[in-house]
Amino acid sequence: MNRTVLAFGIVLAAALCAVFYLALGKDPSYIESPLIGKTAPDFALKAVGTGETVDLAKYRGKPVVVNFWATWCHPCWDEHPTLTAVSQTYGDNVQFLGVVFQDDESKITNFLRERGWAYPTLVDERGKTAIAYGVGGVPETFFLNRQGKIVAKYVGPISPDELRTDVAKAMAQ
Amino acid sequence: MKKLSLIAVLLFVVPLLAQTANVKVPDADTLVGAPKGQPLTGDELTRTTQEIASTIRCPVCQGLSIADSPAEMAQNMKAQVRELLSRGYTREQIDSYFERSYGQFVLLAPKFQGVNSLVWTLPILALIFGIFVVFMKMKSLEKAPVADSGNQPPATGNSDDPYLARVRDLVKGDQQ
Repeated sequence: MNRTVLAFGIVLAAALCAVFYLALGKDPSYIESPLIGKTAPDFALKAVGTGETVDLAKYRGKPVVVNFWATWCHPCWDEHPTLTAVSQTYGDNVQFLGVVFQDDESKITNFLRERGWAYPTLVDERGKTAIAYGVGGVPETFFLNRQGKIVAKYVGPISPDELRTDVAKAMAQ
Repeated sequence: MKKLSLIAVLLFVVPLLAQTANVKVPDADTLVGAPKGQPLTGDELTRTTQEIASTIRCPVCQGLSIADSPAEMAQNMKAQVRELLSRGYTREQIDSYFERSYGQFVLLAPKFQGVNSLVWTLPILALIFGIFVVFMKMKSLEKAPVADSGNQPPATGNSDDPYLARVRDLVKGDQQ
């Protein structure tokens, strides 16, 4: 009887240790996106500054980087120069789009005037686009291939190397 | 003057309205299909919104539902639940709508499928195992032979243990 209890305890402890070991080094706040490999939800949103409507479908046939951000998000300030600089190196080969949610248009305009911009920044009123993309916090960046499928998602402020790696994935497929 | 005003309207206001009208957000129709239920209104809409919202996790909070969280993201999601119910979407379709974007993480109660079924079954199995262990232990205690009284220390009488003798002396001393 004692052996049965001991064996059960050992199995339980081993299972727990395995779970803890597998979780080591993983960010507990990171949520694997179920959208990877699926067609990106379509949107057509108003661009800050110009007032034009920018339709995602227009860029089908070209890799697209969709970056969700907000002016109240400090990590977004950090990655803004990276996105601006790297987007310029790709020119017309890759389309970058910024999508701002939970923000005020005048604050966005001031932010972009101060820090510069290299691609359209769109306003996501009432956060519907962010919800459809499963955004849990900003910044989050999605990488779409030429067919409009999401091939990668990056959570948090992205570095130039990480950005180029994920853009390469979008360009390869 | 009137003509000038009309031209101004045509030149500025109409294009602006046209641009706004072109704004398109990802719609439930394209994500989970056409509504399968009846559109809700009034108190029923409010009550059902609250019920469903209390089962959907706020993605920017720590273990709060979108019904309980004051976060703007949660409020937007709750508004989305209300809108979908008012358009006739069913509870299952609304769950699928959010699950499609966030995965099962967004549901506060995981579904009984795949690895998640362990969350429901393991506690019951552990309880049954615990009852079994207790039952077996009680049975073995019942079967155990009564201890030989010869091996028991005498309840009274002399002992060679000097410590016990000392304790007895002290007790006797207190009683006198």
